[in-house]
Amino acid sequence: MTAQIKRTGIRKLPFGFYAKVLLLAALALWMIPEIYMVSVSLRLPDKAFDPALFVLPVTFDNFITVVHDNPLLRDFWNSLVITVGTVVLVLIAASAFAYAVSVLRLKRTMLMYTVLLTTLMVPVASIVLPLAIMLKTFGWINTYQGLVLPYAALGIPYAIVIIKAFMDDSPRDLFEAAIVDGCSTLQMFFHVALPIVKPALIFVAIWQFIVTWNEFFLALVVLTDSEHKTVTLVPMQYSGMYMANPGALFAILVIIALPLIVLYVFVQRYFIAGLLTGAVKG
Amino acid sequence: MSKSVGAPIEKPPLQGGRRSLVDRFPYLYVLPATIIFVGFVAYPIIWVVGESVRGADGKTYVGLEQYTRAFSDPVFWRVLWNMFLWGAVTIPAQMVIGGVIAYLIERHTARSKTFFRVMFFLPVVTSVSVISIVWSQMYAPYYGIVQEYLKYLGIQFSIAPLGEPGTAIFALIVVNIWQWTGFSMIMYVAGINNIPADLFDAAAIDGAHGWSLVTRVVVPLVSPVTRSLLLLGVIGTLQTFPIVHLMTDGGPDHASEIFGTYIFKQGFVIGDTGYSSALSTLVLLLALLLSVVQIVVLGSRVSPHANVLSPK
Repeated sequence: MTAQIKRTGIRKLPFGFYAKVLLLAALALWMIPEIYMVSVSLRLPDKAFDPALFVLPVTFDNFITVVHDNPLLRDFWNSLVITVGTVVLVLIAASAFAYAVSVLRLKRTMLMYTVLLTTLMVPVASIVLPLAIMLKTFGWINTYQGLVLPYAALGIPYAIVIIKAFMDDSPRDLFEAAIVDGCSTLQMFFHVALPIVKPALIFVAIWQFIVTWNEFFLALVVLTDSEHKTVTLVPMQYSGMYMANPGALFAILVIIALPLIVLYVFVQRYFIAGLLTGAVKG
Repeated sequence: MSKSVGAPIEKPPLQGGRRSLVDRFPYLYVLPATIIFVGFVAYPIIWVVGESVRGADGKTYVGLEQYTRAFSDPVFWRVLWNMFLWGAVTIPAQMVIGGVIAYLIERHTARSKTFFRVMFFLPVVTSVSVISIVWSQMYAPYYGIVQEYLKYLGIQFSIAPLGEPGTAIFALIVVNIWQWTGFSMIMYVAGINNIPADLFDAAAIDGAHGWSLVTRVVVPLVSPVTRSLLLLGVIGTLQTFPIVHLMTDGGPDHASEIFGTYIFKQGFVIGDTGYSSALSTLVLLLALLLSVVQIVVLGSRVSPHANVLSPK
């Protein structure tokens, strides 16, 4: 132990090497389901049920079949419209609300904020029935707004918490200076408040995108015809159809999972930055 | 939460006719969020509470009958027990595994840091319906790789992990842990980065190394993250639905039934609006109770972000 105390930098510990080995071992174990997914999608039909992680030979026939036979592009379009719509609505509504509470400090908005917080815990399961009935009354079953509005409603409280926390931390003088300069509240919102909390907005956008894209429960209830199905509902639809041909089913799974994974790899820098900006400020 | 000081910002001075609508009616800023929220969260909540005192047809008033029915329904108690198990296993497991991975990444990797952060987060980003089918196939009898590989460790199931009442819920819990550990990991990554670097150096000079550094420095300093993960874990547990719905649908014989699947069955499959609403109300009450308890005991930290922002 005494020899170790003399070392100054933690990062120089020889443990670092074992840590990397340990991480790689853990990662190999953790990636088994993802690897298995890709592996089955690349198998010939007669090998699809082999109880092994890797099976040769590799074929891309499954991908060709499923892309050729199914309107996957339409499903992706549905998901994209609903997800982007939700993200935009959440960003606008949540940042405007947070601005009124944190910067403008309008009367009673703090109380409204507190009420909103208590509903952070509301499980979708508990409100899915009234939502379905309500959307049916509006004629919004199988429509985009039928999902965008409930998704936004469920996403807004969390988004407000994060954006408000960032606004609370931003220097108050900036806003006071803007007022002195004769900015209207709207100008101040767009030119001062939003640029300051940009990391928070990006973080919220990325997280809301992931959550909405992958949401299942409400989509299951609201989107009943195959024309409007989002990609999360697709695997269920095809799991019966391709029961005897898991290779094709898994090719669909890969196609569905891949875009979000690729997207995350590209935006993870900003996602982590959003998290760490908060950390640095604190 | 509110560490905000200072007076509210004064209304901007009038500049001719340049005052916009929102300047005259500043409450327009809170309007969109409020309308969406009232319409699609508050109203449904009021609705289920109202319907919970009605019969299966949704009309006749039956008082608290639906609640007494729930309390004498063995499936309801099964659901509660399963939800308890779910939270009690997944939350600590995700924290410990995620925390250890985050610590190893942040303290012991340099160039491969981003690689590990991204890879362990991938299950969070992978669609839950995709995950459910992949894991169902892995758990499958005869050709599933889980049993195939567990055989080498001497573990065998008589039918299949998902097919046995005793193991189904645990098989699902494993999937949940696998999917969400990356989330705990990324939160701890933020928490560990929040610890000032000189604190590590000071701890090292004081002789804190390895295990003692972890227990005496890291664990206490990331406790705000741990607290928010606890709160988010409870929310996540009550939110559980797709994994169970797609993999076992609560079976076999309600052995893996949870609130989501049971409410879905009562409301959409059987069509018993009253009972479904009573169950929904009980979940809401449980969620409220758990959040109040946590806020009283652990403080009002509601988001990992607000947490990371004000680690007091």
